[in-house]
Amino acid sequence: MPGAWRRVSTVNEILLWLFGAIAVTGSVYTGISRDPFRKLIAIGLLSGAVMPLLIDRGYVDIAIALSLILPVSTIVVLQLCRKGEP
Amino acid sequence: MIEPLLHILIAAVCCWLNFIIIDMIFNLPREGGVSGATAIAEAVRRGGGDIRGGTMMGNIVSSPDASAGTLLAACGVYCFGIAGGLTATVLVYIGNRICHDPGYAGTTGCFTATGIVYGGSLIGIPPSAFIAGMVLAILTIQGVWHPWSSRLLGAVWRWRN
Amino acid sequence: MVQQAPRGCLEVEELIPASPDQVALWVCSLVALYGAVRVITEPDTLRKLPFLNVFSFAISGIIALMIPHPLALVAAVAYFVGSTFESNAIASVYAGGMEKGEHRE
Repeated sequence: MPGAWRRVSTVNEILLWLFGAIAVTGSVYTGISRDPFRKLIAIGLLSGAVMPLLIDRGYVDIAIALSLILPVSTIVVLQLCRKGEP
Repeated sequence: MIEPLLHILIAAVCCWLNFIIIDMIFNLPREGGVSGATAIAEAVRRGGGDIRGGTMMGNIVSSPDASAGTLLAACGVYCFGIAGGLTATVLVYIGNRICHDPGYAGTTGCFTATGIVYGGSLIGIPPSAFIAGMVLAILTIQGVWHPWSSRLLGAVWRWRN
Repeated sequence: MVQQAPRGCLEVEELIPASPDQVALWVCSLVALYGAVRVITEPDTLRKLPFLNVFSFAISGIIALMIPHPLALVAAVAYFVGSTFESNAIASVYAGGMEKGEHRE
């Protein structure tokens, strides 16, 4: 098992800008869409776009935690929506 | 730069065949494994597609099936060889249980894909080409034009029966 | 007098992929961008989910391609299973099924 982090393929800056643009677009779409299910889908888009930004800097454990926390939050939100209906 | 693209295209064809064959063997177009799959199948059918192809597309979205197994096997072999592919198989099995999916399509697809990716790396196609190839394969099934791809899957399903 | 390029300019040589791993990374990133655009522009909510699945496949591939370390494999699997679980929950609740309630449509 290698001791230190070793980045074999260097990521161009332009790819990080691309994922940042997808993240901003996803958050804008979350804000402007009316249907709550579309908002949840856009939050999924946002969390996916943030992952490469974390991995590129080496925060793999934070990425694992985020990829477990965000879907659980979405499922809890869905259960609250179902219970809140008359 | 042309040669890696050729490798990616060849790997895409291999991954496409692998996950379609394993999913057809496990009867994925017949019924939805989890409840979200039938919802997506109904939406695809309303858009003008085939119900069997729509069920398979719904199963691909809602539970880790052979397509997920192939991708994660390629990632495993890329990270640390054939032991990585087998680790990915175990992780996909755990993921299947977490998603309440009763089938074994994901685990089987991952296992066969480990063999395919390792064999490809012996020939000269790197595992990263299999990762990109699998992403291209799933793009052709789920990302281009749903009625066309669901009719293609339905035709393959009827040919299999 | 040799003129230097201003700082912050991206040289053209940096954009050309140097190794097969970088070519695969570019392919996956372009597929992720295409999937994100199709998610936003699709009018029907349930049909957005297959495009979101394409996006998740591409992001899982990118996570695994960036760092060839076992922990990145675990991150790719965790992200993929989480995204699949979330898509399944959204689809089944949208069609009216998590609790024993009446149909939405």
